[in-house]
Amino acid sequence: MLQQAFNGLVGGAFYALLALGLAVIFGMLGVVNLSHGAFYMLGAFGAFIALDSFGLNFWLSLVLVPPLLGLAGVVLERLFVRRLTPLDPLYNFLFTFGLALILQDLVKRQYGVNSQQYPRPSQLDGTVDLGLFTYPAYQVFVLGVSALTCLAVWLVLTRSRVGMIVRAATERPELTRALGIDVGRWVTPVFGFGIALAAFAGVLAAPMRAVNPLMGSDLIITVFAVVVIGGLGSVFGSVAAGFAVGLVSALGNLYIPSLSQTLVFILMAAVLLWRPAGLFGREEAFR
Amino acid sequence: MILSRLARSGGRSGPLLLAIGLVAALALPWMIYPPVALDIACWALFAAAVDLLLGFTGLLSFGHAAFWGGSAYCTGLIALHSGLPFPVAIVGGAAFAALLAVPIGYLSVRLTGIYFAMVTLAFAQMVYFIANQWRDVTGGENGLQGIPRELFGVDLSEPFYFYYAGLPFVLAGLFAAWRIVRSPFGRVLVSIRDNPARTRALGYPVDRYKLLAFVLSAGLSGLAGGLFAIGHGFASLEGVYWTTSGQAVMMVILGGIGTLWGGTIGAALVVQLQDYLATAGFQETGIVTGLIFIVIVLLFRRGIWGTARHLLDVRGRAASSGDTAPEPKEAVDTPA
Amino acid sequence: MRNMRWSGGLAVAGLLLAGCGGGPGGGGGKISNDKIVLAVLNDQSGIYADTSGRRSVEAVKMAVADFKAKYGDKAVTDKIEVLSADHQNKPEIANSKAQELYDRQHADVILDVPTSSAAFAVATTAKNKKKVFIDVGAASTELEGKQCNKYTFHYGYNSYMLAHSTGAEVTKDGGKSWYIVYPDYAFGQDMQKTFSTAIKEAGGTVVKTDPTPFPNDNFSTFLLKAPGLNPKPKVLGTMHAGGDLVNLVKQYNEYKLRDKGVDLAVGLLVISDIHSLGPDALAGTRYTDMWYWNLDGTARTWADKFQAKAGVRPTSNMAGNYSAALQYLEAVQRGGSDKSDEVVKQLEGHKFDDVFARHATIRAKDHLLLHDAYLGQVKPASEVKEPWDYVKVLKTIPAAEAFQPQPDPSCSL
Repeated sequence: MLQQAFNGLVGGAFYALLALGLAVIFGMLGVVNLSHGAFYMLGAFGAFIALDSFGLNFWLSLVLVPPLLGLAGVVLERLFVRRLTPLDPLYNFLFTFGLALILQDLVKRQYGVNSQQYPRPSQLDGTVDLGLFTYPAYQVFVLGVSALTCLAVWLVLTRSRVGMIVRAATERPELTRALGIDVGRWVTPVFGFGIALAAFAGVLAAPMRAVNPLMGSDLIITVFAVVVIGGLGSVFGSVAAGFAVGLVSALGNLYIPSLSQTLVFILMAAVLLWRPAGLFGREEAFR
Repeated sequence: MILSRLARSGGRSGPLLLAIGLVAALALPWMIYPPVALDIACWALFAAAVDLLLGFTGLLSFGHAAFWGGSAYCTGLIALHSGLPFPVAIVGGAAFAALLAVPIGYLSVRLTGIYFAMVTLAFAQMVYFIANQWRDVTGGENGLQGIPRELFGVDLSEPFYFYYAGLPFVLAGLFAAWRIVRSPFGRVLVSIRDNPARTRALGYPVDRYKLLAFVLSAGLSGLAGGLFAIGHGFASLEGVYWTTSGQAVMMVILGGIGTLWGGTIGAALVVQLQDYLATAGFQETGIVTGLIFIVIVLLFRRGIWGTARHLLDVRGRAASSGDTAPEPKEAVDTPA
Repeated sequence: MRNMRWSGGLAVAGLLLAGCGGGPGGGGGKISNDKIVLAVLNDQSGIYADTSGRRSVEAVKMAVADFKAKYGDKAVTDKIEVLSADHQNKPEIANSKAQELYDRQHADVILDVPTSSAAFAVATTAKNKKKVFIDVGAASTELEGKQCNKYTFHYGYNSYMLAHSTGAEVTKDGGKSWYIVYPDYAFGQDMQKTFSTAIKEAGGTVVKTDPTPFPNDNFSTFLLKAPGLNPKPKVLGTMHAGGDLVNLVKQYNEYKLRDKGVDLAVGLLVISDIHSLGPDALAGTRYTDMWYWNLDGTARTWADKFQAKAGVRPTSNMAGNYSAALQYLEAVQRGGSDKSDEVVKQLEGHKFDDVFARHATIRAKDHLLLHDAYLGQVKPASEVKEPWDYVKVLKTIPAAEAFQPQPDPSCSL
């Protein structure tokens, strides 16, 4: 039981990282980034390509791939997303959807639909004794690293000046602008940072999940549900909801496996009906 | 008001164009492969139904697959098990879709924007999971197969003839959508889209209006989905999957949001494109579809129909401003 | 009022313009008998693209070339065309395309069609159009059961074959107790049922079966649960395919279940899955296949030829398509006509041996191809001698045992 809960948290770690990126992007730009799953997939493929073509190991990929893809996100924001942000959010929604399709098919064209091999780093091949039970070392690592990342992001957002501006802009955009704070120059870096988080999750996923072009699109709908449960634009909410949804689906698998697919969506509908702006969302989103 | 301006400029040719349109609808199966023609007709009605909500009420539903696919199953079940003629089955399917829309709509219309899109998506996914699990009724992933296609003993399995048997449903549906948009009720919807607060202040029960629009839109989607199921002879999980909702939205955007007829063009293009890609020997269908999305969103936000109308409009009057507002913000008549 | 009519007219006119792709011509067309047209309808862009896809089209072309080479001047015709279409895993597209291939492109036979919902749709079309359809890619036994018809043949494999070979053989070999996990959709549900039956018939027990969400990337719940079940299962039977299977196996290894005494058996394993995971991840795993490229000299020679053309080793699906096309052409040759009824007559009850199908019979009562199947075991990387040489064939399961011994009574042709 405890072990199952732990496993739910590991699954939740991916949701949390992805949801966190989505939430800061949504908060800062008002953009629902449908290509987030594609960047998660690109992160995993980035690690694969780094190993396969350049012989770079997992650790180097973990450090190199997210910033590179984050840079791609910066370019993307400058070239396209920026033009659409003043318009109805619908347009960026559709733009990023089209982008996701293209990215996915470009990878498919190059590598096919079958999964690629990616080994676990040898340092984390064994199991760890956690006192109550033993657990695969890599999964413990994933949980630790993502929890630390979320914590670090949280500290940056709450303790630094830059972070406060970003968080203010994320959670109270109108008010922040009204106070005369120049939000504009933080938009691009935040977009890139969100993308980098998705790529980071992708690299982490490579050793334990199937690395194929569809890995992101399979996941992203659930992550959207996570973000909505947590409250779009709420940094804390998305992380909390990420781990919570991981936990719920693991326990769902355990007790009511035939319903577990629907569980996340039932949860999401219930949350929205009870608190339309999500658990930690701001009420202005609900008109 | 763009439409009336357009009408004024081309008012006299109106009946003529309607006639051309009808002839085109009638001639379609001669020009393209009949099953594809029927697909276009069904999707055109589906797109119009989605536009009714998106373009005229300002609600982006990402869950209309539930109504299209839900009706497909219901229509199929009626046709399979009751032996009733297919028109009855389709109407039954549409009624089921409308009924299904009542609880979903009741819970969803309280939200707007992206929240509305997400919650409708969630409900549609639930319908999808139910259809997948409830295999005794729906056939699960294998689909509901062998739906008969006959009318009072007349075998309509030849798609060419079936097109003409099905066309009246599509035309009736499109006419209904047009009536809804032009009615006082439709004007209230537009005013809700443009300014919900003001509409509420004027004393309209906004949520109830939205709910009714949602149910009507679902009913029309169900009409289209039921016809589609009869036309193909089966109902499948694909019909309730979220990509079906996405495809309908794509058609509306391609044709032009808030144009009602634009979706027809969008449907014709998308269905033809899919048909073409199937044999084009080009495996990356996503690249083509994705590029279309991006180009439309970046360059032609009015969609094909909207752009054409805009150009006519600009020609009619001197272009007044470089206004690129994507949504057709039409002046709203005060409801009587 | 007027204005909208205006718009409506334009809309339909636009629809007319958009529709100009097709060209005139009414419903139905004649089949020209001076040429044979084979059409491969399968998934060329989605999840099955690498299992079959365009490389199966290549295999069918090889069959045509081999047929021509064999008969030369004596062939019924030297005009044989191969067409292909991508159904994108959508049954609606499969349905429209099948009609179009039969009507407009004069296809005499449609081949492959993975995804059972698409296969059923095409089977219905074949029945209505009275044209031959040979399905290679779908696993559902309903094709030779409830959905069977005079013009539809099921070629290669089905869920019965997979379950009764792997399930029964592994049980007899000592894997007496099973924990089965399956993806929660028609294929997985069928596989779970047939596996459970086969295991019980072979004297084993099924400790528990669990459906998993589909698609899914986190199987930890089920893997953690496995060793703790009472009684502890000796075999974890997975009915997953593609990306889900890869996820499950990666995590199976992470939890080191093999070291805990829980072996792995896979319901449906494609050689490209082994390639994806690396042989060590699956080493020792037993599964059943309808063919293997390194089965024997005959298979190997053909696989070499195929590799020269397509650049990869063939999957069993690709070889199945080759064989289906070849046997279709042979039937036309024997009957001297490509009329569907004549071809069906020639195919029914036909016994043959080719590169793919050994000791093969096409059962007349339900149009199911009976042929030898193979129980394979994945080799550890240390034993892999050349690329793609991942499998050791443990046992040949004779045609008579591999498939349903009796036709499904719900099938009437």
